[in-house]
Amino acid sequence: MGEFQVHRVRFFAYVPAGIRCVAHSPRSARLALARTDGALEVYNFAANYFQEKGIPGHETRSTEALCWTAGDRLFGAGLGGDISEYDLEKLRVKYSLDGFGGPIWSMAADPSGTQLAVGCEDGSVKLFQVLPDKIQFERSLDRQKGRVMSLSWHPSGTRIAVGSIDLLRVFDVKSGHAIQRILVDRRLQGLYSRECVVWSVAFLSNGTIVSSDSVGKVQFWDSEKGTLLETHPVSSSAVLCLAVSEEEDSIVVGTSEGAVYQFQLLPVKWGSAESKWVRTKPFQHHTHDVRAVAHSATALISGGLDAQLVIRPLMEKVHGKGYDAALRKFTFPHRRLVSCAKKAGLLLFQFPQHLELWRLGATNSAGKDGDILPVSRAPEHLLQLKSKGPEHICCSCISLCGSWIAYSTASRLHLHRVHLENGSVSVKRVSKVPKLLCSAHQLLCSADSTSLFVASDQGAVHVLKLLEPGGCGHLQTLRPNSGSTEAVYLLAASADGDWLAAAGGDWEINVYSLRHFKPHCTVPAYNCAVTALAIHPVTNNLVITHSDQQVFEFSIPDREYTTWSRKVQQHGLHKGWLERDMPITHIAFNPKQPTHILLHDTHMFCILDKSLPLPDDATPLMNQTSLKQLSEKARRGHAHAFKICKKYQVSVLM
Amino acid sequence: MAMTRRRRAMLEKDVTAPEPPVGAAASSEDEEEDEAPEEVTFERARAAAETERRRAGETARRDKELLKEKRRRREELFKEQKKRKLLPENVLEELTSGPQINNNNLSDTTKQGENQDESENKNEGCNRGQDHEGGKQVVRLKGSYMAVRLKDHDLTSQHQKMAKDFVQSHLYGPGTNRTTANQFFSFANKKSPVKKAAVQFVNKSWGTEKKQKAKQFKKRWMSKKMVSSV
Repeated sequence: MGEFQVHRVRFFAYVPAGIRCVAHSPRSARLALARTDGALEVYNFAANYFQEKGIPGHETRSTEALCWTAGDRLFGAGLGGDISEYDLEKLRVKYSLDGFGGPIWSMAADPSGTQLAVGCEDGSVKLFQVLPDKIQFERSLDRQKGRVMSLSWHPSGTRIAVGSIDLLRVFDVKSGHAIQRILVDRRLQGLYSRECVVWSVAFLSNGTIVSSDSVGKVQFWDSEKGTLLETHPVSSSAVLCLAVSEEEDSIVVGTSEGAVYQFQLLPVKWGSAESKWVRTKPFQHHTHDVRAVAHSATALISGGLDAQLVIRPLMEKVHGKGYDAALRKFTFPHRRLVSCAKKAGLLLFQFPQHLELWRLGATNSAGKDGDILPVSRAPEHLLQLKSKGPEHICCSCISLCGSWIAYSTASRLHLHRVHLENGSVSVKRVSKVPKLLCSAHQLLCSADSTSLFVASDQGAVHVLKLLEPGGCGHLQTLRPNSGSTEAVYLLAASADGDWLAAAGGDWEINVYSLRHFKPHCTVPAYNCAVTALAIHPVTNNLVITHSDQQVFEFSIPDREYTTWSRKVQQHGLHKGWLERDMPITHIAFNPKQPTHILLHDTHMFCILDKSLPLPDDATPLMNQTSLKQLSEKARRGHAHAFKICKKYQVSVLM
Repeated sequence: MAMTRRRRAMLEKDVTAPEPPVGAAASSEDEEEDEAPEEVTFERARAAAETERRRAGETARRDKELLKEKRRRREELFKEQKKRKLLPENVLEELTSGPQINNNNLSDTTKQGENQDESENKNEGCNRGQDHEGGKQVVRLKGSYMAVRLKDHDLTSQHQKMAKDFVQSHLYGPGTNRTTANQFFSFANKKSPVKKAAVQFVNKSWGTEKKQKAKQFKKRWMSKKMVSSV
């Protein structure tokens, strides 16, 4: 008899959207990423590439360009013709401004961070002034024919290189006139030639312009004389994007064949002062077009239409074998998209525009460990809830008994009462959901399904009371004592309904007492992002996992770390565990074994047994298959706390 | 009418003596001797003319009244239709009380159906003038609804669509030198250490014309062979 049954859920057909553009901020070590459905994500490189923030997409918004300016302000512009600034604390678009030049193809901030240059469909380059709380139109450079596909500032901030159709231009910012016009040659193809789109340009500080075009060439131009310096045919199809390192000795380009190439400035001979750009490394990590690349100090970053974000470290820049020295690939969001109604055996899947409710399959027979049981009742698709309007769903949840479904878009919270009576499903919308001033970032139902917790801006958590037969009312708003400005993105409630833990964007975890509706305590600050939270149903211990793979256990009644957690910290976690590349996205507990903690990330599932000794670095971390071959007695001697299963391809939630 | 009068005059011929009118006699006398000119007494003629005039006037009036009635009914119908098409009154009040608005939103909603009377048309005319100069105008309503002019959105979405088409054609259009799925997988198969059967994605609908032609040709060729062998 196996310890528990595993449902293999293969009907969650979630397709992540392709990556359209990325912007890397070396100052804050963050990467902003825009997807083709208009969603925005921010990855924190300091916190092991954890997806720290996410802004849900929008039907009509399609972001074509992103840039960081003036510290940590993030701007985006798209084919809608609007320039918008993102509010990364409240996770929404702060404001939008019409560029009045048609769809916007490109945007770049000047080196000092006071101006934004925007390239429009109508052929104009517009300058916007970045003011402390807004941006303002300043002036327009001389309008030329042809859409402005790409632009780049000279590091001195006096010139702008512009890539258009069939040509490159150099503008003088002060006068606003075009001072150089360079023709880019087309590809000869039969009798007629097809126009050449300059997809990306970069202006180097020595006056060289680098361009990548639809002919498949990376070319280097002299901006003073307007002459061609070097040509590198890279691909038989288009070269779509290009990025330069800060030292200007390395360039990364992405092609529509899914290949990424690195160019390096190397001396012609050993010790000679003359140096040349050489194509050095090809990488083929993507299956589809690479629409966006970025160059950090130690890695090449590429994002493709196959929805993968690939971070490829440059071995000569990385010292030692640390976390940064491994190739990282991210496809799925580091967020919870599935919620489970444990009592009713239902799963709720969250898609950008709709929700799906499924009933799990069942089996009559029992088997040994590792047996595949025959399914007596196939999983059943019960319900599909479509959200109205152009906004995408940002979070959803189902209550444990399966009778309430809540989801939220950027502007509204929706609540539905579900009746499941012997096979028939009926849904009733709760019409009077209390109007909350701010959007919901995470939703959670309490264990007894009487209240709904709504995570909101400024560290606040709203508690809504769920009333039978289908109503709800606002009960309380919990606010932290510290006056945090960041939005809450993780919630965990205890099974007895007494405690609620909330983690915000500043990685502070507050524990509230739900009996008195006031803050109970704060977990000691730890300088890494929180990836998952859960409260143990029996002991009321809060289990926290961080993006640097640390696991903590915090006793809420005693307001301190538990002895097991201290022991783990003294002993240190296994090296293999710390070098895993995915953050733990969900924590659960085994109801039969209170010492077991179930953890999982995208690639593995782990049972952490607190009663067993912790492994040393010398013992292998993944030892389950070798343990099976040993005798019962020897197995006990070798077993350690981490029991890991990597059988499944991608798991989004357990 | 002239004909009837003449006939009546001929009937009355016997009773009254002919009194040839001075002007007419000179011309008709020499041609038709026996057909005397019409002779109507002055009174009769006057009476006839009067009744005639009265009748004509009456019919005209009746026509006019009918027309009026018809017009009134149509107008009522229009009014009712207009009322039906307009938004409810409280919404209208809300719209008019909002800041910086004119009748744009109203005229947009009422424009669709019916011909309005002149005053309305004039209103619309001036509204159209304002439409050109005004930018995006958004009126906030109670709740989460917003009244927006559709025209602006059409323009931006049209631009957006054109831009998207441009990107689409340049990324995936002809001349982009993209490999086909078959080529891609055959390369992958060649490179991979594990050799598998070739992947072929073939659509049955490809080359239907050629296939048909080939079939026809084969049939014909066969029949020709058969004939020649016999």
